[in-house]
Amino acid sequence: MPTEKPNDRARGKRILGRIAPADFVGRSAALRRITSLAPHGAEQGGMLVLAAPSAGTSELLRQAYDQLFQQRGGSSPIYFALSRNDQTVIGAARRFLHTFLLQLIAHRRGDTMLFDATPTLHELNELVAPSDYEWVERLVQAYERGREGGDERALVRLCLSAPQQAAARGAHSLVMLDDVHLAEHLKGETNLGAEIARASTNAEVPFVLAGLRRRLLDVMNESEERVPFDGLATLHLEDLTNDDARLLVERLARTLRVPLSDETRDLAVQQFAGNPFCLTALVQAAQASGASLQSFRDCQQLYVDELMGGRINRRFNALLEEISPPVATRRSLIRVLHESAGNIGGKSPVEAWRRRLNLEGAELERIMRGLHVYELASFNSTYVEIGTGLVWREYLAANYRLQVSAEPRALVVADTLVATLKRAPQTMARHYRREAALKLNELLARFDFQRVPASLLHYDRFRRMYKGVSGEEVAAGLDAETDLVRLPQIVHAASGASFHPPLLLVTDEERCVVAHGFDATPYTDANAVVWVAAEVESKMEVGRALTEVWCERLTQLAHACGFSRARLWLVSPEGFSADASELLNEREAFGSSRQQLELLTTRIRPEERADTASAALDEFEMVIPMGGDTELIAAHTVEQIARRLEFQPDAINQIKTALVEACINASEHSLSPDRKIYQRFRVESDKLVVTVSSRGVALTPPASQNNEISNGNDTNGSTKGRRGWGLKLIRTLMDEVEFERVDDGTRLRMTKYLRK
Amino acid sequence: MIEPCNNYQGGARGSGDIAVVYAGDYVNKLSGERIERECRNKLDAGCRTLIINFKGTELVNSIGVSILLGVIDAAEETGAHIVFAEVNRHTIKLFDLLGLTRHVALADNEDAVNKMLAEFAVPPANQGH
Repeated sequence: MPTEKPNDRARGKRILGRIAPADFVGRSAALRRITSLAPHGAEQGGMLVLAAPSAGTSELLRQAYDQLFQQRGGSSPIYFALSRNDQTVIGAARRFLHTFLLQLIAHRRGDTMLFDATPTLHELNELVAPSDYEWVERLVQAYERGREGGDERALVRLCLSAPQQAAARGAHSLVMLDDVHLAEHLKGETNLGAEIARASTNAEVPFVLAGLRRRLLDVMNESEERVPFDGLATLHLEDLTNDDARLLVERLARTLRVPLSDETRDLAVQQFAGNPFCLTALVQAAQASGASLQSFRDCQQLYVDELMGGRINRRFNALLEEISPPVATRRSLIRVLHESAGNIGGKSPVEAWRRRLNLEGAELERIMRGLHVYELASFNSTYVEIGTGLVWREYLAANYRLQVSAEPRALVVADTLVATLKRAPQTMARHYRREAALKLNELLARFDFQRVPASLLHYDRFRRMYKGVSGEEVAAGLDAETDLVRLPQIVHAASGASFHPPLLLVTDEERCVVAHGFDATPYTDANAVVWVAAEVESKMEVGRALTEVWCERLTQLAHACGFSRARLWLVSPEGFSADASELLNEREAFGSSRQQLELLTTRIRPEERADTASAALDEFEMVIPMGGDTELIAAHTVEQIARRLEFQPDAINQIKTALVEACINASEHSLSPDRKIYQRFRVESDKLVVTVSSRGVALTPPASQNNEISNGNDTNGSTKGRRGWGLKLIRTLMDEVEFERVDDGTRLRMTKYLRK
Repeated sequence: MIEPCNNYQGGARGSGDIAVVYAGDYVNKLSGERIERECRNKLDAGCRTLIINFKGTELVNSIGVSILLGVIDAAEETGAHIVFAEVNRHTIKLFDLLGLTRHVALADNEDAVNKMLAEFAVPPANQGH
């Protein structure tokens, strides 16, 4: 193990990292997940990092490297990135072996000066600690022999096995491989991606394998032998959130001494959609040119410079050059891309692309795949859909004018600058509108078969009952309502424009939602339903005419998408006029105001997350085996919980009896494979919710159980004839009872309200 | 648990055909079947009054109730009386809900049991000579 003290560079904050750790924002959790893999003996099998393009994966891994290097004493961090400069599989494998040994030795010596030198493999062998000398020498010799032997695959495997061989001699490491998707471009008989997958899953050394999310897994799966990725954790790396992106711009501007205003910071964040590469490029460009970022004009001038000739321009140029090397084809590609972007939804048929590019088969597919991998477009066998990123679209527009229309550069620059300046307030307005949107998709996703007062979905009723009533009275009124609507369970919610692009002409993307779900279990055609919800903008109650327009729009959407059962739901800030409500009722559509929506939101419990602290405080779970009177244990447990809530003795006994019946029901009917009953007791301020579930056959409650209790009048003399009262009894004893089929069994949810 | 005929601890008078069966703390399938077996044995042995004592019974489940209904049927067939004694309030509500209380007499305590037994007692002269 290293005994030397780390030199000055190591004591500093940056080794491989390109920005100071303090300026590296928004990735703390990701960084923690990666570095947690390092301790030797930790129970983990490595990680896949599936990254959005230019989301900052390389910097994340380099920051992880620096952090681990400075911790000293533990596993050695190794960072290796495949490069477009790598030509062959053998060359890349050899570079990996060299990098591995160099970084391992540097870490074990605590000597970062090694990074500035370029020692050969043999020279590295002279630098190793005595304890490592033997295995390193043997590895280098094996490599030399392998190189002469001419077996490419064996040599690649030898190089990739270096971490494993080192670990076997006590030199543990965390190997971070970046840009793994580039392996597919390397020449050679061996598939390096598959070999990396093989090495990482076979080794006891943790590997972090990072690459573009649309390609990484494909590259590593291109192998004859199936590679099991089950043991690998997955980290999805997206662009930064608004808050993190703002912080990034602020930190960078401060570090680089670039004057910045809040307004331009926010404009940059919105314009680049939180992309760290673009945000960094903009602030660095400001520093390089001595400009400030204090006005929209400053910001957009720099942006246009970047777009037309800066780092952003070079990045897109490089990608297009990689995707389509011949200049003529690239020019055609820019034309088709730009023209397709002008279509509704940015969609155009693949066939049109084939004709416009005059390309066939493999070459066309290669270009399509390149665009897809870098998320510049998405394609399937029929359509190509151009990426919606603002910067990408503006790059396309400018380059179309320069390369296809051959317009003067000065004119294109001027027009682009004017256009981006005119667009800036709209970009911010769009952001504010998005922030102010009611987030219907999130609300719908939380429905989950819950019951809510019907007045929350019928504006006319709500208006009649609660208009001008205090908040407390509204809450009490809603509590007392007996007409309840059972909401569906939503399994997929997405923007209506994703289903029906013309909607974008009349509303913002997030203001119309299509939510697929089920009214009840089991998941059958009969229970399937699609909720189509939209926010209607209006400062006053929406009238009949506008309501009709929206109902028609949503109906058309449902029709165009072939939804057999659609439920329309319109939401307007101030609700709907009387005749509009009448129309909604005629169409069996729901209508709510913002106030109703807010009340609905508060009444729908958030998605159950077992790991939250609050859940831990008011939720109890218990698993009991079936049989052996274990239901008594459950009954005694629920008794204790109910006492804490100060239920009356009678109510406690009713809850106990209901729970006993539920347990018996589970034992008798489920054919449970694990013979266990899962119980959850959720304490809320005014109620106790008991959920009893079991795996196995999901039986519908017998028809007899839906009838009234027979009051002992069944005198056929057979006790069998008198069985099957369990569910009826439960319904009598508890306030709310829901019997559901779930994926693998049944679930009974029973609620008892507190009445002091 | 079962008390022999003519040995009701509450001191029932004048009848040699009374049996007391204790229900135990939990009346479920297993204990219900035990109660049923003991009751049927006693009825077969000529008991005219069956007292099922629920002292200490915390819970009765629906299977237990269905078995108790079977016992009631059996007693009715032989013309015997059934008394449910010392049933707690919650269990009475449950029995009420399930219709048992329409077929049995309920006794809160020993005094009430004795009073009922007195009412059930038939003078020897009327016993079919």
